[in-house]
Amino acid sequence: MPREVHPGIHWIQEFGPDRPGIASSLIDRGAHWYRPGREIHVPQNAFLFAGEQTLLFDTLSPAADEQILADLETVLDGRALDYLALSHPDVPHAGNTFRILERHPGATLVAPRFGRTHELYHLEDAHKVGPGDSLDLGGLRLHFHDAAFLDAAMSMWMTEETSGMLLPVDWMGLPLMDGEGLLFADEFRSPVDVDRYAEFHGRVMFWMRYVDVARTQAEIDLLAERYRPAMIASAHGPVIRADVPRYFEMMKEVVERVATGGRTGVL
Amino acid sequence: MATAPGVDPEVPLTQDVSWIAENYPLGEGRNVHVSVFLIRAGEKNILIDSGSFYHRESLVRRISRATAGAGIHSLVLSHSDYPHSGNIPAFRRRWGDFEIVASSGEPEIQGLPYARRSRIGGSLEVAGRVLDFLDPPLADRSHTSWIYDRGSSVLFVADGFGYHHADDETGLTSRQLPDGFRSEEIYTFHRDTLIWLRYADPSVLMGVLREMLEEREVSWVAPIHGNPIAAEHLDDYLERLEDGVRRIVREQAV
Ligand SMILES: [Fe+2]
Ligand SMILES: [Fe+2]
Ligand SMILES: [Fe+2]
Ligand SMILES: [Fe+2]
Repeated sequence: MPREVHPGIHWIQEFGPDRPGIASSLIDRGAHWYRPGREIHVPQNAFLFAGEQTLLFDTLSPAADEQILADLETVLDGRALDYLALSHPDVPHAGNTFRILERHPGATLVAPRFGRTHELYHLEDAHKVGPGDSLDLGGLRLHFHDAAFLDAAMSMWMTEETSGMLLPVDWMGLPLMDGEGLLFADEFRSPVDVDRYAEFHGRVMFWMRYVDVARTQAEIDLLAERYRPAMIASAHGPVIRADVPRYFEMMKEVVERVATGGRTGVL
Repeated sequence: MATAPGVDPEVPLTQDVSWIAENYPLGEGRNVHVSVFLIRAGEKNILIDSGSFYHRESLVRRISRATAGAGIHSLVLSHSDYPHSGNIPAFRRRWGDFEIVASSGEPEIQGLPYARRSRIGGSLEVAGRVLDFLDPPLADRSHTSWIYDRGSSVLFVADGFGYHHADDETGLTSRQLPDGFRSEEIYTFHRDTLIWLRYADPSVLMGVLREMLEEREVSWVAPIHGNPIAAEHLDDYLERLEDGVRRIVREQAV
């Protein structure tokens, strides 16, 4: 069941399959927060913004095609879906686009403007947005941004003004143990810390191994300064609603960890 | 027409590896290849990546011709990005349920529940051929792997080593490019494709890359989005790439 994280903003989560491969690498390196035997999952999040109009941000993966349609039905509760926005055309984020549009034929597809290869993703007819573009849903106001930490070039981040929410997509994710689905970061029993974030970024952002640490950390300071979010809603992590600056600090440490320790695996 | 008629035949790289070049025009005289490669492993045919649905008809036709109608027996994916993986259902309808090898932590999440999993750092025997799956210093998606074919010494490098080639450079290998590679188009490809390079430490990155290429004999570097680079042109490309990365870092300074 989706969780409302702010009035009108609903968190839809695909918990994903158990990942014994990640679990065994956690055991090998003695990750202090992981207790052997617990399941490990890398979640995939989508968010439904319901003002006077409605927008779904990302689609979950093809393995969750039935789930996204059902969860969407639950939160829409008979209302129409007006927009489907894709953070980036990556299979786990966008793989149910056609299923959702089939079910909600009136929805406008919204995609990142970046680049010139939209045709290679069937996105040539999508409504393209980027830095400087906003969408007023009536009650909720969305702004689109370039993604700073990303995988696919054709990517975007989003903020929602009334909640102060930043959606950094592939950034700020972490692996969950069983029982940790749909929890705010401050609700975890075993704390959300640098080591957990490093496990995730050492996989998804394997390229942090090749970065100039000081320069990348400076970018994180700049992002914290520019967005000053009150909430952070990653596509792969828990929603953060308290103590936000601490998480930016953790992300700076993550960069250093991956740059010196190397990649932790794949995703 | 996206791919010029002159490049319709496959381009042989080695005795048993050939390049099926497809072109996507970016406008203003710039283009990018979105190609596939064919390994003839005895009686069996291995395809590296499946190309974009944008080129589906052309690819089906050209692969059929290149394999004398036999089609493919194994498909090895560098990663599941759509322009690399977009033709799996169409190819399977045409050539049956051939084996699919994909690198991923979780094939189901990537929409490939039926794939045989390759592991970065590991090797697999595919259609009687040994392929090594390497950790790619130049890539976008986490699960990308570079694929080294021990039989031919060709290194397939997915999104690495790309090039924004000019209109008349479609389907040309480094041996056929009249003036070799231009630094500018190596730079624009990497600037527009591997966004994270703005954070890179160029010496760390280039050090790992050069080491990787020195560790094994490489006959060709075979990029999906570039013109294949013969061993004797690799140093030249790497030098221009290093300049390009330094330029990206300089121009996108935080
Ligand atoms: Fe992604
Ligand atoms: Fe992701
Ligand atoms: Fe890619
Ligand atoms: Fe690509």
